Amino acid sequence: MRPLTGREKRTVRFAGIGIAIYLALFGGFQVWKFFEKRRSDYRQLAAEAQQLRQKIQQYQDKARVVKKLMDDFHLDPAKLKKGTVVSDASAAIQKAAKSGGLQLGPVRESPAHGAGMTLATVQLETSGQVPAVLAFLAGLNSIGFPVVVDSVQFTADNSRPGQVKMNLTLIILDFDRQKEVPHA
Amino acid sequence: MAGGRLVKKIAFLNPPPIYVEIGQSLLKAFRENAGVELPLERLPDGRLTAPCREKTALALKKFFQAKSWQPRAGAFCAIGARGVSLRQLSIPAGAKEEFHQRLLLQIEGEFPLPPDELAWGWQPLGETKPSNGAIAKQDLLVAAVKKEMVADYQELLAACGTNPVFTLAALARNRLCPQPPETCAMLDIGNSQSELTCFDKGIPSVSRIIFWGSDVISGAADAGPAALAQTIKGSLAGTKLFVSGNKISDEFTARLTKVLGDGWQCERLEVISGEGHSAAIAGLQKCADQDGFPLLAIRVKQSGAAASMATPEVKEWAKRAVLLVAAVLLLPYAEALLLKPHLAKKVAAFKTEAARLTVIDRELDFLRYLKSSQPPYLETLYVFSKSVPSGTKFDALSLNSHGEVSLRCGFRDGQQVADFRTKLIDSGFFTNVTVEEQVPTPDHQKVTVRISAQEKPLAQLLALSASLPADETGKDGKPAPLGARPAGISSAATGAPPVLRKETK
Repeated sequence: MRPLTGREKRTVRFAGIGIAIYLALFGGFQVWKFFEKRRSDYRQLAAEAQQLRQKIQQYQDKARVVKKLMDDFHLDPAKLKKGTVVSDASAAIQKAAKSGGLQLGPVRESPAHGAGMTLATVQLETSGQVPAVLAFLAGLNSIGFPVVVDSVQFTADNSRPGQVKMNLTLIILDFDRQKEVPHA
Repeated sequence: MAGGRLVKKIAFLNPPPIYVEIGQSLLKAFRENAGVELPLERLPDGRLTAPCREKTALALKKFFQAKSWQPRAGAFCAIGARGVSLRQLSIPAGAKEEFHQRLLLQIEGEFPLPPDELAWGWQPLGETKPSNGAIAKQDLLVAAVKKEMVADYQELLAACGTNPVFTLAALARNRLCPQPPETCAMLDIGNSQSELTCFDKGIPSVSRIIFWGSDVISGAADAGPAALAQTIKGSLAGTKLFVSGNKISDEFTARLTKVLGDGWQCERLEVISGEGHSAAIAGLQKCADQDGFPLLAIRVKQSGAAASMATPEVKEWAKRAVLLVAAVLLLPYAEALLLKPHLAKKVAAFKTEAARLTVIDRELDFLRYLKSSQPPYLETLYVFSKSVPSGTKFDALSLNSHGEVSLRCGFRDGQQVADFRTKLIDSGFFTNVTVEEQVPTPDHQKVTVRISAQEKPLAQLLALSASLPADETGKDGKPAPLGARPAGISSAATGAPPVLRKETK
């Protein structure tokens, strides 16, 4: 192979420099694009995080209200099991009546039909002293189950003076169907 | 130009330069207008003793007063000729790397120690132009000294917060010579020994130590200069001799000229006397003012490019500025690269939390519905208890979630029925109150009535209930107004208001 002349060497050198500059610029641009994309992704992520954070902060007040209501009702809706909530609620109601010194009469349970938030209806008869009856009625809010008093009927118990009979119709609400029902 | 202005602007940030002359037994330092002189103790091999290094470092730190926020001060250091070898070399010109390699080879060949064991420096003397096919050559002056010596000085001065650069004291003194002739000599007289350096065309050719010092001057009148002159004559032919030294007078110079004889011409270099002053330090100052740095810098570690003492501060600041700009530009990218995984984890955690938000919504709606669905039975019963005349007997009372109320009870007469009805209406709890049936008993002592009423909507009732006073009886024993709700009537789990007992007799 013949040796290169000075001019050829210079041409090769210039070509090499040109290629090197092109590669440096091209590579630099690629690197810059890569980092810029990473940065853009990061900024997007940061904005998303900020939005989520604000959203969660807004829910802090709601969470406080939920906690207060849960404390008032002694009730955590998320822990209610649809399969056993009726039996558990019925047992809790009867237990509350007995512990309040009331005498329990017949108890009838009937499942709800059709749409709505009603899971079941419980009818019970009970009798006792007026204060005990009223305390039982007041305490139904906090037995730990979503119970609403649909109707109540007091009648005088002629066989036992000073006592009243109470016929109570209770509705047990279904938390799982809560979404489907328009709010009251 | 812009760079020059920048240097001037940031000059106030830079500490003033320090000038140091390191002799055999004395270190002189000068900074701004103050000087210090510190005695040196050396080991037999010429290196400083450890206690001397410590003492000197402490004294210099105190003297330099380096500020932590300032860059290191430049220290121009002149070292004596003891142990220094001078060579004039001629190196074929070539590329920088090639030239450096050749220089190293020449040094290895010319000096007794390899370049790695030497602290050395060089200055260009000129270029020999190629002629008759000969290669162009670069003439150099190389000065070298044992590396440990200069390394000790460098370590000592660096520990004091300075950035030292070394050169030969003789070269610094030479700067003080006013229009030096082509060939001359310089004699610096110390306390116990002197330094004689010969210059040929301004280039130091020979430098040697003469064990004769200013302590001898105070001796016999002619014995001192005579012995000195004899030593000088043994080294040089008659020439111009510049004499320097703190204890040297014009009279001594004249005596020396006389003793040296014909052909010799002695001249004393004028140097300000005082602590920290010397001919070498004055030369360094002049050199720094004019050129920035002496041409021959002796370095412990050689770098490819020639260092400049005039610009280290600018370089340092420029480096910092570049770093700062790079940091500002790159930090967002670095943040994106480094913090993205962490942020992604956080966002995932937020999303998990956000999924729970729907549960909170559902729970809140459900609990609100539950609360709003509770009819105010106890409040209604309380209103009845406050409206009914004492001794009234209820046979039946029913209430439902639609707000329908019906009751059956007995009153003494029709007037009581009317009063009861009026009170119920006045309570504000009911929209209408209807007496469906009013039948007198067979003995006409009482009337049995059946009344129905419709409660107002739940929201109105709750508002009304909330606005009621807390207790039905005040502290004075008087009955509370109609509609007053006893404390805890809607929330008490046990017990009941006493007023309700009479309702359902």
